[in-house]
Amino acid sequence: MFFIHPAFLVVSLGFAITFHITIKGSESLKFLGGLLTFACLLAVLNPLINSRGERILFTYLGGRPYTMEALLYGFAISIMFVAVIIWFSTYNQIMTSDKFLYIFGRIAPSGSTVLTMTLRFVPNYRNKIIQLSNSRSAIGLGISGKKKQKVENALMIISSLITWAFEGGIVTADSMKSRGHGTGARTSFALYSFDVRDKTLLVLIIVLEIITLTCGIMGAAETEYTPKLYIQSMNSGCFVAGITAYILLLAIPTILNLMEEIKWRISRSRI
Amino acid sequence: MANFKIKNLNFYYPTTPDTPSLKNVNLDIEEGGYITVCGRSGSGKTTLLKHLKTVLTPHGKREGEILFDGRPLDEVGLREQSSRIGFVMQNPDSQIVTDKVWHELAFGLESLGMEKKAIRLRVAEMASYFGIQDWFHKDVSELSGGQKQLLNLASVMAMQPDVLILDEPTSQLDPIAASDFLNTVKKINLELRTTIVITEHRLEDILYASDKVVVMEDGLVQVEGNPRDIGNLLREKNSQMFSMMPTPVQVFYGVQEADIIKAGPEIESAELKMGNMNFNSRNHNPSGNSVMPSERGSADCPLTVREGGDWLSEIFAKEKPGETRIDRGEAALEKADRFLDADPKECPIVVKEAWFRYEKESPDILRGVTLKVPPKSISAIVGGNGTGKSTFLKSIIGVCRIYRGKILIAGKKLEKYRYDELFRNNIAMLPQDPSNLFVKKTVREELEEMVSKDDPERVDSMGKLCQIEHLYSSHPYDLSGGEQQRVALAKVLLTNPGILLLDEPTKGIDSFFKKTFAGILSKLKEKGVTILMVTHDVEFCAKYADVVSMFFDGSVVTTNLPHEFFSRNSFYTTAANRMSRHIFENAITDEDLIELCKRNM
Amino acid sequence: MQKKHVNKKNIITILVIFVLMPATLVVSWYFGNRKYYLSSVLIMIYAMIPFFAGFERRRPEARDIVTLAVMSAIAAASRVAFMPLPHFKPLVGITMISGMAFGPQAGFLTGAISGLVSNFVFGQGPWTPWQMFAYGIAGFIGAWFFRIGIFNVNRRFRTAIISFLVVLCIIGPILDTCAVFTMAGEIDMKILPTIYMSGVPVNAVHGIATALTLFFLGEPMMEKLDRIKVKYGMMDTEVKNEVR
Repeated sequence: MFFIHPAFLVVSLGFAITFHITIKGSESLKFLGGLLTFACLLAVLNPLINSRGERILFTYLGGRPYTMEALLYGFAISIMFVAVIIWFSTYNQIMTSDKFLYIFGRIAPSGSTVLTMTLRFVPNYRNKIIQLSNSRSAIGLGISGKKKQKVENALMIISSLITWAFEGGIVTADSMKSRGHGTGARTSFALYSFDVRDKTLLVLIIVLEIITLTCGIMGAAETEYTPKLYIQSMNSGCFVAGITAYILLLAIPTILNLMEEIKWRISRSRI
Repeated sequence: MANFKIKNLNFYYPTTPDTPSLKNVNLDIEEGGYITVCGRSGSGKTTLLKHLKTVLTPHGKREGEILFDGRPLDEVGLREQSSRIGFVMQNPDSQIVTDKVWHELAFGLESLGMEKKAIRLRVAEMASYFGIQDWFHKDVSELSGGQKQLLNLASVMAMQPDVLILDEPTSQLDPIAASDFLNTVKKINLELRTTIVITEHRLEDILYASDKVVVMEDGLVQVEGNPRDIGNLLREKNSQMFSMMPTPVQVFYGVQEADIIKAGPEIESAELKMGNMNFNSRNHNPSGNSVMPSERGSADCPLTVREGGDWLSEIFAKEKPGETRIDRGEAALEKADRFLDADPKECPIVVKEAWFRYEKESPDILRGVTLKVPPKSISAIVGGNGTGKSTFLKSIIGVCRIYRGKILIAGKKLEKYRYDELFRNNIAMLPQDPSNLFVKKTVREELEEMVSKDDPERVDSMGKLCQIEHLYSSHPYDLSGGEQQRVALAKVLLTNPGILLLDEPTKGIDSFFKKTFAGILSKLKEKGVTILMVTHDVEFCAKYADVVSMFFDGSVVTTNLPHEFFSRNSFYTTAANRMSRHIFENAITDEDLIELCKRNM
Repeated sequence: MQKKHVNKKNIITILVIFVLMPATLVVSWYFGNRKYYLSSVLIMIYAMIPFFAGFERRRPEARDIVTLAVMSAIAAASRVAFMPLPHFKPLVGITMISGMAFGPQAGFLTGAISGLVSNFVFGQGPWTPWQMFAYGIAGFIGAWFFRIGIFNVNRRFRTAIISFLVVLCIIGPILDTCAVFTMAGEIDMKILPTIYMSGVPVNAVHGIATALTLFFLGEPMMEKLDRIKVKYGMMDTEVKNEVR
């Protein structure tokens, strides 16, 4: 994800996009279009900050150079940046809080209980804040003109929220104790189960990651843009091994998704 | 299966070491029984319930004994208690721990360290039994109040308790959700033999299902008995608690009392009229039916609307009543003139074809509401959940801005008001949750937030009006629901409003507080304040409102005087009306019904 | 605080400090262009582990868990109250108060969890660990300064001004560093001052919000939290643990 070798970048961006499309469908095109335009803009602007480089395309503002290397570098980092954003956007789509909790439930049972409770409280408190603000403004205590009053009123609301939240918190603690919290070892339940398929995949992912990282450390993706362009040769064994592992690694999610889709279509067509 | 035996239990809170909060309580809770504990707020019923589970037992000095299955409760391990004794509390929201419905169902089982497979089965079972499948995957924040409380019940039941304790479980729910919930509780008792111990204000929904009713006052068990006898026992003791009883009980004894005075020694003829029926009750006392027919009250006290109706039919079986309606004559005409045909120019609130939606794309919540609120009146808007009643109130105070139509407040268009002008000496709203207005450490400081420093007299006079003077130094959150509400009301009234809006003012408060509250409202009305409230509480409206409007699907469907309004409805009306509509035309309140019965005897 | 955990024979902490951190540094040194972001994130995660591990090991009771969840949720939800003032972010201020009331561990965790949770709402990104860390540090500093008397609810001005400086000089720059590491591959030392300088106005606003939160809410909130502690014996085990 953090390589700036052009080949690696293309691979990362490519799979980020395909995966995003398989998850979100046509809706994703609009999002991707906007993002790529933004990336181009970012790339073109980079040479304005970074003036290092050998091949000068033109000069501006009385001799400040706009270099080819800086432009290429701009493209590299903005592609990387965009790829990261796309990966995270899909991540947010897939990695819902309950999956997150599933992973951490066993390692950190108390921490994950705090997390699930916080997730439960936040929407509740947001609602309450709106209620508090409405109730206050319905007796004339509220959003009138001046900034100072606005700040004071908002802080008053927070203060009121805290008292209310802790009163409720006491009930929540009672409800937890009443249902046996703290009486002994806890298990962690989830709707997911970790089956053989998951284990195989996990091992595969770890192996691929180790290969990619090792190759990365050995210089498979070594690249410099400024001041002098240097790109690791695509013929070196190290590079070939690294990029192959990288491609396989990033392709896994898309392949899984597509396979499911195909199986689904086939099984449906049989009905 | 399990039972509780409470022997000579005394309990003192650390804050009040001299006055016991529970006094010499003796109580047997039998296996598979359904026990209702009632009493006004602060009578010690919650404290008693909390003693039935060690982790919830409050700190303080305790004397006496609590046996669970013959063993002292303290010696029963916490783990065993967590699974065998289930406890559902009042506030549906605060009891929920996790953010997903499925996780909440599993929470208790996780705490007990059950295996994943076993949890999966239990959770599946619970979801199916309680009909949760459809919202199994939802976030709890998407659920309605009724669903939340059902989820709390289901996640306690997932641990397969032998005893289920419920502390005012429906006080925060609307009537429909509340009776659904209580039906589920009854089903659990009947189908699973789970012992039920419940405190509840809505006695009409649980009395008939109970085996035993315990009435508490000031920490004492005042009366204990079979639900069919409890009314009589309370009456014999001349207890105030009698007024908590549901309509059929009130009317039954109300009529009897009148009858005694009227009939005097000629008991027999009255006996004929009183009917002689026994309801096929779940009466555990086999001797219950063997009471001599010549005794007064040989007919069992009716507990439900159906039984009450049957009882009335029986009384009037031989002789149709001559008088079937209460004629309110001149007074009614005058009221109609004053409240229904009020001149719009004099009405403090006039709404004409108001339309509102939350977002451009979302559906309309208000769909052409037209309403005028007559001056110096208590007007009520009733209607189901989600019909837009509360939104309507918000639009009147400008929190929700209507996009079509107009709203006139005291004759002036709402949008013409400057913000501070609207809420000074003009209009104010008491929120559904009174604690929304609390920001300070003491009640006095709450009130002082509303007035300028050199005006302590206003605070005092308001404290007097709202009967909260004795609470001044308390923390607002340490008060009971009814007290909180009066404090909030005082705070609202300090803006000196001519128009007072109330959003569900009777939610979660007991019948005594309701009465006090109604008293304050009528005093305000005398002072010239116009009151508009939105409520689910049909009985409260029937008793205290001057005008009632029905809200449905985003608009006002009909407006009428309460007697006319409720006697025309057949579902959305008071228990007294439902019980007597086959005999009398317009008996709305318990008093109406008793009066009509008297006249025809 | 790390020393304290070593005293308690916290194996995880020892592992983190003596094995994982150096290993990360070595690996990332050879790793090429993205080493700064990657290694910094890893180190931050390691720094957070002892707090979470300490919390787990303590086998917290229901009330401790609830207190932490309530404070984190308030910090994360509090922005809604400032809708009319879009740049006003009270999260750091509330986190500091949480630290003052409930000790360094709770303070750090409040910050970290509210950072994580608000990103569940707004979307996770490369900035998540940075925010968790920065907010956590804020809570930790709140507790620490309160213990040594720098923060004092009775001296509202001093507390407010110091909290302003903390945000301006510590919390803000940590968050800015995230932007530097994510956006730029090679760090040009000449550009660094410019980037940090350009962050100053935003951090100043953030600092003012924090200072105002502490100024107005510090005392009443501490009072409220004390009331809760007294009335329900909440978090007293925590207090005992931490004071020791």
